[in-house]
Amino acid sequence: MESESYVKIFTEWDIVAARQLGRNIAKELEFGTVDQARITTAISELARNIYLYAGQGEIRIERINEFGKRGVKVVAADNGPGIQDIRKVMEDGYSTSGGLGAGLPGVKRLMDEFDITSSLEEGTIIKTVKWIR
Amino acid sequence: MVARIPILKLYNCLLISIQWELDDATAIQFQEDLLHKIHETGANGVVLDLTSIDVIDSFIAKVLGDVIGMSKLMGAKVVLTGIQPAVAITLVELGIHLQEVLTALDLEKGLETLQRELGEKAWRANPM
Amino acid sequence: MEKVNQIVEYVQNNREQIVRDWSEQLILMDKQRVANVLSENVYLNICNDYVNLLINSSTNQQSESKISEFTQKIVRLGWTLGFTMDSLSAFGKIVFFPMADKTTEKEQVEFILDYDRWISPINIAVYNLFAETWQRTVSLQKIALQELSAPLIPIFENITIMPLVGTIDTERAKSIMENLLQGVVKHRAQVVLIDITGVPVVDTMVAHHIIQASEAVRLVGAKCIIVGIRPEIAQTIVNLGINLTQVMTKSSLQKGIEAALEMTSRKVISTEE
Repeated sequence: MESESYVKIFTEWDIVAARQLGRNIAKELEFGTVDQARITTAISELARNIYLYAGQGEIRIERINEFGKRGVKVVAADNGPGIQDIRKVMEDGYSTSGGLGAGLPGVKRLMDEFDITSSLEEGTIIKTVKWIR
Repeated sequence: MVARIPILKLYNCLLISIQWELDDATAIQFQEDLLHKIHETGANGVVLDLTSIDVIDSFIAKVLGDVIGMSKLMGAKVVLTGIQPAVAITLVELGIHLQEVLTALDLEKGLETLQRELGEKAWRANPM
Repeated sequence: MEKVNQIVEYVQNNREQIVRDWSEQLILMDKQRVANVLSENVYLNICNDYVNLLINSSTNQQSESKISEFTQKIVRLGWTLGFTMDSLSAFGKIVFFPMADKTTEKEQVEFILDYDRWISPINIAVYNLFAETWQRTVSLQKIALQELSAPLIPIFENITIMPLVGTIDTERAKSIMENLLQGVVKHRAQVVLIDITGVPVVDTMVAHHIIQASEAVRLVGAKCIIVGIRPEIAQTIVNLGINLTQVMTKSSLQKGIEAALEMTSRKVISTEE
């Protein structure tokens, strides 16, 4: 059984909206409080990346069920300029925006599964999953 | 509409309790307000209570880190209090190190910490 | 379909013989392990249960729950999936050979197809339920293991100890960290002593978890001291190049407590007469 909700990211307020949607779904799925924080923070980071680098995109949040395992799937998609060097971006401490450089490696640590594809023409899609333990 | 976070004054200290989720604009506004207040009152201690915050992402963490650095430049020590376990774990896993940040369990312990850091007299003295 | 009825009839009529032959074969197959513990009767009972399953399934009497009962029984007996599959296939042969005895090859092939069509759904249901039951047992064991996790013990006002025992893998580390932080907040601890005397191996992964935990404790507003570092552990840490300079450590619990008291502006004095 899958059901998907999404938030389009245009302004900084949408980052908040994405967080709230994520938090609500995580609560509804009965994730523990720490996992709720992990999921919500990961969504915030992904949404912020879209806002900062692509200008617009969307965050899709899906409730998933695989062989009896329940979880949440977060997909961050944009049609932005793409990531030049994925490996570099996945290095800790790398930041192009003067932030604390937490970014994508941090998101990968917070979630259970992490997948990224990016190209100049098609933008970037990041898929992450967290399972209920 | 940007919400303004109320800043209270107790002796030579400023007390802030952030009661709701921080969006970007509110966070930046807060940074400004706090620095102004420090300047206005000459406060040398700040207790910033984060008990009601359940998400701190890298941006908010940066704003907090900056606030602490900027306050220090203006002569005020900042203690962060009430960081929730879930938030602490997430920050640590994200890889965000808030180095050299004074922390305490709650508002009360935060004031005690400031007292220790600043010395009794400085904490209570009322500069004119 | 009538072939199936034939099979069922045959099984019903020759039930005792079939069950006896089958359980004998099972005991032979399982000589190494379970046979020592299980009596012949147990095998006979299981075989009978299975035959009942088959007979009832063709009349469709509450087959699901009966299959579930049967499967749980064999899981509890400690049968492995492999053994189960071998056993059920052995049953097939015991039924097939006598029945196919005086028939043509074509009839034999037809018989095999009919038999398979009849018994496959049942066996597949058994295998699936088997896997599910196994899975459930494993997760229950995991939960029980997690409940063994580290307790947080307040020893003085504002000072708490968490003794860690056993290996710390990533999952256990996560749950220990959650427990630790919630305990710190609940007990209003200013200093937490994490005692790793009972942790047999401290490698880079474990050290990483300990460092993370201590950082998280600091964020929550308390201080962390690691105690119980055995000489071998100290050697390993340095040899592996692990940097524990960020974390305060003391060699013994006693020294740790003294440091904690000092940090909370107290000390132990002796009262003299």
